[in-house]
Amino acid sequence: MSAGLEVRDPIHGFIYREPHEHDIVDSKAFQRLRRLKQLALANLVYPGANHTRFEHSLGAFHIAGRIASRLQISPADSRLIRLAALLHDIGHGPFSHVSEPILRKHSQAEKINLKPKQQVHELISAQIIKEDPSLAGLILDTDRTKTVDLLNGEYGYSVFKEIVSGPLDADKQDYLLRDSYFCGVKYGVFDLERLVNSLTVHEDEEDKFLAISSDGVHVLEQFVLAKYYMSTQVYRHRIRLITDEMIGRAIGLGIDVDGIKWLKQIYSYDGSTDYIREYMEWNDERLTTKILEESSETYACSIFHRLRDRRLLKCIFDVKHNELTDPSSRMTVFTGSDDFHKPLEKLVAERWGYDKNLVICSPVTFKSAAKTESEISVIGPIKPRFFREESTLFSAVNLAINEQRFQVYAPAVYKDERDHKRQHREFYNDIIAMISKLSDPQASLSLEERGSAL
Amino acid sequence: MNAAQFLLSLIDASKGIQGRTLLQKRAFFVSLLSGIDSGLGFDAYYYGPYSSTLDNTVAQLKNLDFVVEDDTPFGIISGGFEMRRYDYKLTPQGTEVVSKLRSTEEYKRILENVRRIEAAGNPNYFELSIAAKAFFILRKQRRPMSTEEIKREAEKFSWDIQPQSLEKAVTFLQRLGLTKEAGKN
Repeated sequence: MSAGLEVRDPIHGFIYREPHEHDIVDSKAFQRLRRLKQLALANLVYPGANHTRFEHSLGAFHIAGRIASRLQISPADSRLIRLAALLHDIGHGPFSHVSEPILRKHSQAEKINLKPKQQVHELISAQIIKEDPSLAGLILDTDRTKTVDLLNGEYGYSVFKEIVSGPLDADKQDYLLRDSYFCGVKYGVFDLERLVNSLTVHEDEEDKFLAISSDGVHVLEQFVLAKYYMSTQVYRHRIRLITDEMIGRAIGLGIDVDGIKWLKQIYSYDGSTDYIREYMEWNDERLTTKILEESSETYACSIFHRLRDRRLLKCIFDVKHNELTDPSSRMTVFTGSDDFHKPLEKLVAERWGYDKNLVICSPVTFKSAAKTESEISVIGPIKPRFFREESTLFSAVNLAINEQRFQVYAPAVYKDERDHKRQHREFYNDIIAMISKLSDPQASLSLEERGSAL
Repeated sequence: MNAAQFLLSLIDASKGIQGRTLLQKRAFFVSLLSGIDSGLGFDAYYYGPYSSTLDNTVAQLKNLDFVVEDDTPFGIISGGFEMRRYDYKLTPQGTEVVSKLRSTEEYKRILENVRRIEAAGNPNYFELSIAAKAFFILRKQRRPMSTEEIKREAEKFSWDIQPQSLEKAVTFLQRLGLTKEAGKN
C-alpha cells in the first residue's frame, strides 16, 4: 500500500488521501475518469471547460470527508462516505449525462434491475465498484458492498447518502465551484466554508438526515442561487444544449439508422462482466475518433464532423412555457414526447427542406429540481422548519428555476443579420401554427398522416 | 395517453384529490383497473406502490398552470415538523385541456374506475395505502390468501397493519374484484 499523499487542487487547495484511497485513485478504473470531460462539449462555449470527472471526483471526495468530519460521523462510516463520493461517477460513459437516454433505450431491461429514479450509469457504477479487477485488491469485499448500498441509500442513516447524493451533497458543492472556475464565470461561487460549517444532523425516532442550522440560511440561499445561475448560464446555455442534443442524435442515428454495431454494443448494458470490461475501454476521445473513422455517409460521422468543426445546428425556435397562451399547445409541447416531437420535426424539415434527422425538438425543463431543496430542514432554536418557510428569497428563485422552454434546432443558414431576423419571424409563426395543429387531441392521425395533413 | 393527460383526467374525474398519498394510491388503482399504461411506472416499495414519474409530472403540471396545489397544516409529525396535506385541483386552463380529453376512450375508463373505487367504499389515503400493500402481497404470492395470512406476510415487511384496517382493505379489494386478480397464477 502506498503512503498517503496530498494533491494540489485549484478549488480546494491540498486534498489529502489515505494510502488506500491513493491506490484507488491510481487504479485503471479511476484513471479512466481523466478521459471523461465533466461538461462534454461545453468547451465550444467556454474554452476553459476541459476539466474532467477525475478532478471532480477528487473534489467531491474531499468535501464529503469534510462534511463527515464536521458531523462527527464514526471513522468507519466516514471512510465509506469518502469512498462512495470518490467512486460516485465511476460508471459514467462517454460524454457523461448525454449517454444516459441512449443507455436507457438500448439496455436490456429484462437482464438489469433498474429501480425508479435510478439511472443506468448508476447501475453500471455499482457493478464496477463490485467487480472491477483494478479495484479488487484495493477495497475489501464487504466495503464494496457497503459503498454500493450507501450510494443506493440502503446503508446506515439517510444522512450518509445525502452527503454524497442529495440537495446539499458534496457532488453539487464541488461541481458548482469547479465548473464555475473552469468556465471562467463567477456564477457558481458560494461560501463553501460557511456552508460546510452550517451543516448539521436532524434526527427523528428512526433516522438521521442532513440539515442546516438556522444561521446557515443565507449561505444556503447563495448555494441555491449559484445553482440557478450556473443552470441558466452554463448547464442550459443555448450552445451547450445544442451540442448535447447533437451528440445524442449522432449516437442515436448511428445505432438506429447507420446500423453501427460496435456503437450499439456500448449502450446495450446487460449486467454482464464482459459488457463492463468493454465499457471501461470507452471515453470521450476514443468514441469521437472511432465515429469519425466511420463512413462520411453515416449520420454519426457527419454530425461529429459538424461538432468537431463547430458547424452547429441553429436554434430556430425558442419559447417559454408561459409564452404559449393556448393551454392545449402548452400541454402538447411540454408533456408530449416522441409522439409529438417526431411529427413536428418532420413538418419543420418538409417546410424548410431540411433532412428530418437533423431537426431536433428539445424541451428544456428543470424537472422540479428545487423541490428537494425546499424540504431541507433548517434547525432553529425552537423547532425545525423547511427551507422554503425560512427563506423569503427561495420562493422567487424556485419560480425562476421552474421555467420551462421548448426549442427546435435545425441546420439553418443565414445570409446576414437581416435574413436571420426574417427567417426567425417565419420560423416562429409557422412553428406555432404547426404546434397548434398537432395539439388537437381529437385528431387521431398517424405520424405520416399528421405530416401530410399540414 | 401520457402521464400528464392521465393525471389531469384523474384529478378531473375525482373532482380534486386531497393529499399526495391519496393521489399516488388512487393513480395506482385506477391505472391497474383501467389497464391504461400512461408510463407512470409504479414500483412496489416496502411502503407500497410509488411512482416518481407521478411526482415529477405533478410538479410540471403545476408549473404549466394546469394544476394548483393547496397545502393545509394538520399537526406535528415525528421530528417536530408541521405536517401538511397537499390538495390538488385543476386550474381553469387545466379544465380547458381536460375538456378536450373527456370524449376519449381513456378518459371514460378513468372516470368509470374512479366511480368504482368510490362505490367500493371510497377509502381515504390511509385505507387506500393499506389496500395497496395488501394487493402487493397478494400479487407477490400469486394465490388467494386469508386476511390472517396477509397480515402474517405484512409483518415480514415490518408493516404494522391493524387487523380491522386490513379487513377493510381486503373487502375493498374484493369489491373491485382484485383479490381474485391478485391471487391468479
